[in-house]
Amino acid sequence: MEEVSVWRDRLEQTALAPITKTSVWYFVWVAALLAIIGWGLYAYSVQLRDGLVETGMRDRISWGLYITTFVFFIGISHAGTLISAILRVSQAPWRTPITRMAEFITVVALMCGALFVIIDLGRPDRLLNVIIHGRWQSPIIWDVLAITTYLTASTAYLFLPMIPDLALLRDRLAGRVSRWRIWLYSLLSVRWKGSAEQKRSMGSAITVAMILIIPIAVSVHTVVSWIFAMTLRAPWNSTIFGAFFVAGALYSGVAALIILMAILRKVYHLEEYLKVKHFIYLGYLLATFALIMIYANISEFTVTGYKLEAGEEFHFRQLFLNEYAGFFWFYALAGLVLPPLLILMPWTRNIWGIVAASVLVVAAMYVERYYIVVTGLRVPLMPYDPSSYSPSWVEISVVAAGFALFALLITLFIKIFPIIAVWEVVEEHESEELSSAAPPLVTQSAPEPAGGGNL
Amino acid sequence: MKSLVGVGLAAVILATTVFVVGGSAEAAHVDLNVAPAGELTVGSPAETQVTLLTADGARPVAGAVLTLYREASFAGTTGEVEMGRAITDENGVAVLSYEPRAAGEHQMRVEYLPTDATEPEEATWSQSVAGTTHQLHQSTSGIQVPGLNVWILMAVLATVWTILLSVALRVIAIARDGREVDMPESVALEDVKGTA
Repeated sequence: MEEVSVWRDRLEQTALAPITKTSVWYFVWVAALLAIIGWGLYAYSVQLRDGLVETGMRDRISWGLYITTFVFFIGISHAGTLISAILRVSQAPWRTPITRMAEFITVVALMCGALFVIIDLGRPDRLLNVIIHGRWQSPIIWDVLAITTYLTASTAYLFLPMIPDLALLRDRLAGRVSRWRIWLYSLLSVRWKGSAEQKRSMGSAITVAMILIIPIAVSVHTVVSWIFAMTLRAPWNSTIFGAFFVAGALYSGVAALIILMAILRKVYHLEEYLKVKHFIYLGYLLATFALIMIYANISEFTVTGYKLEAGEEFHFRQLFLNEYAGFFWFYALAGLVLPPLLILMPWTRNIWGIVAASVLVVAAMYVERYYIVVTGLRVPLMPYDPSSYSPSWVEISVVAAGFALFALLITLFIKIFPIIAVWEVVEEHESEELSSAAPPLVTQSAPEPAGGGNL
Repeated sequence: MKSLVGVGLAAVILATTVFVVGGSAEAAHVDLNVAPAGELTVGSPAETQVTLLTADGARPVAGAVLTLYREASFAGTTGEVEMGRAITDENGVAVLSYEPRAAGEHQMRVEYLPTDATEPEEATWSQSVAGTTHQLHQSTSGIQVPGLNVWILMAVLATVWTILLSVALRVIAIARDGREVDMPESVALEDVKGTA
């Protein structure tokens, strides 16, 4: 058996490598992202100068790509909550190498998502009206409160388990990185020395935060769905919109996490820690959520389609047969049917198959948010011809910049903070060592995935 | 020549004064007489009576549609807002209802467009409205369940943020403990490993 100290040294080196080593490709990647963001800023300046007339949105279809992107980002922010909090609560030991990445996604996605609400306002100064003239009875206010609370709680939940790792960086990287970084690590590690008292305080804080963050996360996407469901539009008249949106958020969140894991595994050579089993377990979660989504869609469309109240017939025609049929059937087939098949069939149940399923899910869930937003507003409220919407170059550029910002923030986070929760991985490793040494009565390690799982 | 101009000017001023003060419009076909409501109050409905007679004042005009307008500004745009319509009775009288929603001086206009005319007959006047501008519409929809209101939302929010504050206090406790513990600067992995 390999020496534990050698294993730990290798773990430290792997975890610290993204912080200490910078390749030319890193700068090329950052420059490319900055270029996209720069173009997006130019497009946004055009929108600020000329107004929302530069977008494809008009008085009838007044939400478009921006609100779609907002809902999408809030959705994938659920990755951190699910993986980290729920798996921590359920004491799933295999979660440890992936929790930090999931928590990064949560915080960064929330930041980017919130930006799109401000962009959609047209005039960002009008955000103050929410504070000055906001009413407690308005779902918009609930949304602002929920997202603000979730961002705060997620940041706390990202920070708390990182404290011991920040102390590790503070001590290991002294003299190897710039002084401001050491100052930052010293500040954020809050004088962590690993004393019993400190461990007790941190453990207690993590426990409180992980229990708190689950209902907050559920409330966030429920409230986001209420912004639609509480508006008088036929396609949004649904009592299951909250649960539907939460399930969709978790679905796209897990998919986004799998994609990020695959990229980081490849780029930073994390094969020893991000094993095939991690992808397969997350793949099972993805397949489970696919089934929940299929059920929710069938339930939703069957009930509303059976009654076919005013406006629903128009909606069903535009969604299933006419203008938006391409979007809907792509979502149904590529987003709901193919991913679970890729995951559940033994010959595609590997990293590539699961990543392919995740890419399909992320793309399909973006498309789903798009048609939910646009088709809902497209149903005529009076006997006039339906309006149409297609995003302008300004909207496409700003949205592209939003995704580039998301990638840039993740990149910068990885450059400054450890992508693997070192102390938690050490704990899990020791636990596995102990359980393999002990009689096979009790084991905490996760079972091997069914159906193989080798590349 | 000077005296002629002076007389003409005086005639114009006199005619304008009569028109404004009297609130009536003399036209080729009809005579539009307005009896404005007295002092108005925000939120209190008032009625403006308009009498429509033939130009010679001998016969009332029945069945004519009169429209009441008010000068208003909204979202940076100023213009006339239609406040209501009424039809004259057999006495040529129409009563136009108006509920002012803002205090101040309101510029009003009543208009009648005869069927064979291209220009409307109209009368304008200024109406003083007392009181303070406030939200007049009170929604009566919905079900009021005692105890089920926004205070619950505030209570939930306050609870959540209090718990978050308790998390912050635990972080402060970690920092305080770190100051008290005397340990070597270098922290080994064994030391940083927590038991959370």
